[in-house]
Amino acid sequence: MAGGLVRALSDRFPELADTLWTDEDTVEIQVEGSRNVEVLQAVRDDAELGFWWLADAAAVDYGPDRDDPRFEVVYHLFSDRHPAWLRIRARVDRADPRIPTITGLWEGAMFHEREMYDMMGIVFEGNRDLRRIYMSPDYRSFPQRKDFLLPDDAADSAAAGVVPLERPETWDLSRFREGLTSAAAATYPPTAERTGTEQEVEGGETLADQSRPR
Amino acid sequence: MALTPQPPKTDTSAGSGDLLHGNPAPIVIPDGAGDDELLREFGMEEHPRGGFHGLLEVIPTKADYILDLIRANSLWPLLSGLSCCAIEMMSTATSKNDIDRFGMFPFRASPRQADVLIVAGTLTTKMAGPLVRLWEQMPEPKWCVAMGTCTTSGGRFKRSYSVVQGVDRVMPVDVYVPGCPPRPEGLIYGMLKLHELVKQRRGQWSTYVDRGPQRVAWEGDVR
Amino acid sequence: MTAVDPEIRIPDPIELDRAEEERLAARFGTAPGSANEYAGFETVGIPDRPPQTEREAEMYSLEEGEMLLNMGPQHPSTHGVMRLVLKIRGEVVTDLDPVLGYLHRGIEKLCENATYTTVLTYVDPMDYMSAMHNEHAPAIAFEKLYGIKAPPRAEYIRALVVELNRVFSHGLMMGFLALDMGGITPILYGFINRDDTVELLASISGQRMLFNFFRVGGVNWDVNDEFINRLSRWRAEVGKAIDDNIALMTQNEIFTQRTKGMGVLTADQAISLGVSGPNLRASGVPFDVRKAHPYSIYPELEFEVITRPEGDTYARYLQRVAEIEQSLHLIDQIVDRMPHGPVQAQVPGIIRPRPGRAFAAIESPRGFYSVYAISDGGPNPYRFRMRDPSFISLQVMPKLMPGHLIADTMAIMASLDPIMGGVDK
Repeated sequence: MAGGLVRALSDRFPELADTLWTDEDTVEIQVEGSRNVEVLQAVRDDAELGFWWLADAAAVDYGPDRDDPRFEVVYHLFSDRHPAWLRIRARVDRADPRIPTITGLWEGAMFHEREMYDMMGIVFEGNRDLRRIYMSPDYRSFPQRKDFLLPDDAADSAAAGVVPLERPETWDLSRFREGLTSAAAATYPPTAERTGTEQEVEGGETLADQSRPR
Repeated sequence: MALTPQPPKTDTSAGSGDLLHGNPAPIVIPDGAGDDELLREFGMEEHPRGGFHGLLEVIPTKADYILDLIRANSLWPLLSGLSCCAIEMMSTATSKNDIDRFGMFPFRASPRQADVLIVAGTLTTKMAGPLVRLWEQMPEPKWCVAMGTCTTSGGRFKRSYSVVQGVDRVMPVDVYVPGCPPRPEGLIYGMLKLHELVKQRRGQWSTYVDRGPQRVAWEGDVR
Repeated sequence: MTAVDPEIRIPDPIELDRAEEERLAARFGTAPGSANEYAGFETVGIPDRPPQTEREAEMYSLEEGEMLLNMGPQHPSTHGVMRLVLKIRGEVVTDLDPVLGYLHRGIEKLCENATYTTVLTYVDPMDYMSAMHNEHAPAIAFEKLYGIKAPPRAEYIRALVVELNRVFSHGLMMGFLALDMGGITPILYGFINRDDTVELLASISGQRMLFNFFRVGGVNWDVNDEFINRLSRWRAEVGKAIDDNIALMTQNEIFTQRTKGMGVLTADQAISLGVSGPNLRASGVPFDVRKAHPYSIYPELEFEVITRPEGDTYARYLQRVAEIEQSLHLIDQIVDRMPHGPVQAQVPGIIRPRPGRAFAAIESPRGFYSVYAISDGGPNPYRFRMRDPSFISLQVMPKLMPGHLIADTMAIMASLDPIMGGVDK
């Protein structure tokens, strides 16, 4: 189904033919970051390829441990003449993530590139308006990078960035449990099942009524 | 099995009290702490003006009663729909679930004219500043309704780096309406609860104590 | 009777401003032409630092007679929280800068820690008005990654709920368009229609708005009796409800005068800016994902791709009216042809697709909505990227709005129909 597209691409870019990969509805080529404008313009203006619609421009971060490439900027394109999507993966370095802008070809790539800059820190050279779009202008991190960890990943993080405000291990609830034995007072959070003797709670109220006032 | 009670760990190496950067001051509870000392340690003192202190304030006058009734039955909300809950708030305001029967027809655009701030939708760290500014611009008496789980506690965005985990971290909330989004009937129930609060003068706006900079959102670990 | 003194001259406001500026400069030492001439007042929320990009410098530097007006994040008609910094000369807008991010919730990042089924619940509140579409594209992408297809009955149910969602989403857009221009009745009619439709969807999915209905491999529940009863009643009444709304607006002289010729978007501009969906088709480009790159059961259904050549606000409104009719036609066909069978493929609770990449695109009421997912073999997606149509359509505003009055900017924005949940993710 995508045979015509595969042939046309390998004719047009013979040096990229070994990176060509195809699926039942997508054809993918990989290109070096500095060549993205050239390749995109070629696939847009070529009569046989004719990819006039930029569907998506996304950035992928492969993590700080992987060097080559660290980032990838992935463009998806649509053409009337071929039934498959064209995916162009442009490699971007790790240390200094820069790639030329494609706002000269499609003006609508401006917001895509601003978002990629904001979330991943990839700098688009030649972009007239490369500033943060989602986060505040004084925000310093790049949230979608793999080394920006949410508290869910605290187990993987050496520094476990978040300390919650409540610290139950410092709460002394014994003053609320006068009359109970120390065994019951030491368990926090209060568990449903109680092994051993059931403790009578004074006044007929439950333990929850005597917990820390809120 | 018997568990010996452990004394509270007073972690004096914990830090300088800089809550914003994750070094909370150690909480030390002295012996014989009364209610006030305990509340002060946890930062939950009651405002001296809040509540009924003394017999005189316990007995409201007839005029107060009628004034509270008037206030309750014409609470004008501020148009502060942020996200999906805003659509359900609009649905509550329109014909099928009509909140106009409770007097809340005019959704005021200006905070100077509004009584109640229904925070409908996720509050993000970027929007927290403007929203608090809106709250401060509202003249008193004013009430706040946290609609939806995002405003109650961060909701489905619990671990996000840019969502305020509950609007009560930045402003006092009177009524929490859970749901994602709450049905219009749920929001109407919340507004009727607010009517009860208004009539009993139990609003939070006068009793809120500013606890200083709090961690408003979870932040990631950046190397 | 006092004679008018011919020597008295009403001063020119521009001269007054310049005199005031010179007075201030003499007093405080900022000479005209110095670096401080850049307009940085904190009160309007303009950045109080030098411009960092070319476009910022162009936007925030004022000429004579221009002023910056902040339509801030809380505004009756900004469709959610968006900030528009307008540069106006009198009442006419000369430039515009949208500031986004007031609803950025970090959904893409949260999805990297969630299983594939949980991701389908996270994407609901993006474009919250069309939550079924938000779930449809990731479901297709994950099925491509996992290598399965949903059973035919599931695909028909999916298409049915998706078209129902489109009907009320477009109906509400018409209401918001009128509301932003001051008309209150169409939004009330729109919400009546929306409440009826949404109760119908609640009877099948359990939720009025953020339906957690799609699963990888199908949908969650089959249709039930209540849904079928409600559907037949709804279908009988919806035509009239939409027609009432249309009768209020389409031939209304105030409406047509305020929308015809406003915000004209040419086809080339639209393609270059990445506009999609009804906005693109109202500018004359017949691009509909359901026909261009068919997915689900759309190859088996008959419908047309309607376009309009004008590209103004009125055309975008009429385009959506026509699309509601097409959706009702599609719903009739789906209900006629629905086959029997299971509604969910046999899929484990936590799926672990093989490492790979998948791209899936659908047509949402706002336009081209696509998902690009990368799997690394584990239970969570390695990268989950959503391309939202409203986000890209907002770039159209600095091109369309200059030259119009402030009141028209809201009409144009309502006709583009952005939903800020999708814009900010």
